[in-house]
Amino acid sequence: MNRGDGETDRRRRFGDLCESLRPDLLRFAWWLGRDRGLAEDVVQESMLRAWKSFDALADERKAKAWLLTIVRREFARSFEKKRLELSDVDALVAAESAVLAAPEDERVGQMREEIFRLDAEYREPLVLQVLMGYSTQEIADMMGMQQGAVLTRLFRARARLRQQLGLAPEQEA
Amino acid sequence: MMNCLEFRRRVGAEPFAADAAIEAHRRECAPCARHQDELRTMDGLIQRALEVNPPPRAWRPRFFAIAASLVAGVAVALVVLVAVPRAAIAREVVSHVLHEPGATGGQVPLPPAAVAAVLDPSGMRLRDGAGSVSFAARCVFDGQVVPHLVVQRPGGPVTVLVLAHRSVSRPVRFSKQGYAGVVLPAPRGAIAVVGQDVADLDAVAQQVFDAVDWGK
Repeated sequence: MNRGDGETDRRRRFGDLCESLRPDLLRFAWWLGRDRGLAEDVVQESMLRAWKSFDALADERKAKAWLLTIVRREFARSFEKKRLELSDVDALVAAESAVLAAPEDERVGQMREEIFRLDAEYREPLVLQVLMGYSTQEIADMMGMQQGAVLTRLFRARARLRQQLGLAPEQEA
Repeated sequence: MMNCLEFRRRVGAEPFAADAAIEAHRRECAPCARHQDELRTMDGLIQRALEVNPPPRAWRPRFFAIAASLVAGVAVALVVLVAVPRAAIAREVVSHVLHEPGATGGQVPLPPAAVAAVLDPSGMRLRDGAGSVSFAARCVFDGQVVPHLVVQRPGGPVTVLVLAHRSVSRPVRFSKQGYAGVVLPAPRGAIAVVGQDVADLDAVAQQVFDAVDWGK
């Protein structure tokens, strides 16, 4: 394979990754930032950063975790840069009502809003575990935390959801 | 032997944990087993709740500025600008079709004047050969007003969106949410043809494309 073919192949592989993983990245960014505009900005900038360091990805089977980590970092940068004030969660709920709506099942809509209202420290590991399918150790690696801390956050996230949804209160870890 | 508190701490964080200690406690303690089952059920609901589909915003010029500022060289722009917008335009087209489910409901041909009223503002007209038009409207798509037609074809109705403000360098084929479509480069912008279970969509799209008089 000559250099031109290699570059074409590299572009094709990256393009395929972008196309197949973008919906998950967008969902993850949206759950992090709870804002469609911010999510799109973060994902676009993440993809640009990913392309620049694409050669560092040794195993493309790990592309999703790699890209999610880039999205996390990019979100942190954007969050800091824009100095977002997220004190008014009701306003965020109203602004994102189209995404939160689940007309097909009221319980899904209710759960979605309660997750949306969770603090980021609980929301993020829950998304990584339930939506993205990562183990608690993998989440700990991605978030730079101890596994025990991740377990505690996940426990508390579910306990809060159960409490908010009127299920039996959970004993705190 | 794991006690109830340890069990509940563990399954509260990992409802699908099923190692030997968890299974042993489940066998011995029915309330804890029931509790874990409830958490597993709740996780199913959590998963469905997390599967949101944030509707995409319009593809904004800002992206090009970001690309230019962050990346040196044309290669990056090529990769990202080709791969991502191709996916974006397909998603936006399907999203628009899904938001107007009634458009494909009727089969009664519209009078030519009604079709002309939709295409005239864009300087276009539809020649014979596309099929009868059962729906025609000027819709907001990606912040622009675009002609939206539904054309009755032997293989079923197809939706046609004339996207003069978007460009594709080559046909973009897609299949999403039960719809198959193609976006073709056009003399002015692009044209999207979308349908469900349409046989030989490429040929249908080409016939529709050929029937459009793009004006000057």
